Amino acid sequence: MDAKLKETILNPIFKGNPITVLVLGICSSLAVTVEMKGACVMALSVTLVTGLSSLVCSLLRKTIPNRVRIIIQLVVVALMVILVDQFLKAYAYGIDKQLSVYIGLIITNCIVMGRIEAFALMNKPVPALLDGMANGVGYGLILVVVAFFRELLGSGTLFGFPVLSALGYVNNGLVILPPMALILLGCIVWVQRAIQKDLQEK
Amino acid sequence: MNTNSNVYTVIYTTVICVLVAAILAFVSQALGPRQEANEKAETISQILTAARFGEKAEWDSKGNDAVLDFYKENVAEAYTVDAEGVKNGTLDISKAEIVTVSGLKKENYAIKDAAQLALPVYRFKNGVTVLPIYGAGLWGPIWGYLAFAQDGKTLVGAYFDHESETPGLGGKIKDDPAFQAQFDGKNVNFDDAAAFAIVKGGAPAGKTNAIDAITGATMTSKGLDEAINVWLQAYKPVLNR
Repeated sequence: MDAKLKETILNPIFKGNPITVLVLGICSSLAVTVEMKGACVMALSVTLVTGLSSLVCSLLRKTIPNRVRIIIQLVVVALMVILVDQFLKAYAYGIDKQLSVYIGLIITNCIVMGRIEAFALMNKPVPALLDGMANGVGYGLILVVVAFFRELLGSGTLFGFPVLSALGYVNNGLVILPPMALILLGCIVWVQRAIQKDLQEK
Repeated sequence: MNTNSNVYTVIYTTVICVLVAAILAFVSQALGPRQEANEKAETISQILTAARFGEKAEWDSKGNDAVLDFYKENVAEAYTVDAEGVKNGTLDISKAEIVTVSGLKKENYAIKDAAQLALPVYRFKNGVTVLPIYGAGLWGPIWGYLAFAQDGKTLVGAYFDHESETPGLGGKIKDDPAFQAQFDGKNVNFDDAAAFAIVKGGAPAGKTNAIDAITGATMTSKGLDEAINVWLQAYKPVLNR
């Protein structure tokens, strides 16, 4: 059991990474990787939301009618996201302002639905919670790596502080635009498959 | 129990929907007043930032009360005007009752349809006048505040906010201090084709009523440019007074 639990937590971070292996959540990883700050906020919120909604769906798993399960899952995810948003708006307005842009992106994030569908509906609440959060972390990791290169080479800054731009670096406009995120993602997938030979397709 | 029967499915979805709706309604009711207070302080801190009374981050760290106090001490008058620039309403500025016009959507349509207008004007004791603007970005609404010096031409500063522009690109209208700082000391010129311009590829050197657009955010820059000019035209009588 312990080894299985460990596998649940570690697998999504590298071997079964939601972005590079499952190829989920590509859309949001193109949109929010222009700067480190945004990527970190998004990574944290997705971790929280995938964890919580996996937990709730796992608790409900035996009662959900099979034919309408996607709709029920969507309702649960939307409820979680809106609740978090409402509480932040009342008690931590500063954080909410940072997050407001991402709320819509989280609800439609394929990873949230993907993990509920593939894992939470067949597993107990605790593993489901861990799986959801671990997938959020795996997703966030890729986001942060891509954002690191895009912010550094695109704007010459990191977390808004000038790094390369202080050395007279001329910003690269291509890196700021979404296609570069796809190119960087491709490079990450390439590196990962070079290390992990069993992922290579014959 | 057969969880796949039609009756079960219908009852289950109904119960879930009602339950979720009830939770959301309750939470929204319970937290409503707190959220409104936060939003009001946010609006006022944006106005104060546009008038360059301080940095936005400073206001955020000071808390709602300090923002409202500062506003009350420094504001001279807040009122609404019609299309001819004639005062047609006052906005309360006593601390407990401070009124701002934050939902500008209606006025934006009114400007375009030349209907009944009630455009908010905030005048401060140091002579600065803050005028709100509202428009459409790439993904959703954008809005902000332009602060004018006593002459009604020179910009003291500006602050912009948005609902869902792309972080790092369109989102820079709010997050990039360098973008907003471009407005400081510029002016508007109603004799020009556009009273104020946000120019893609960079504003021509020496032009005092134009600034640089944001790289990679053409639509947001365009939207902001349009919003500024539409509202400047509507406020022309106030500025030329």
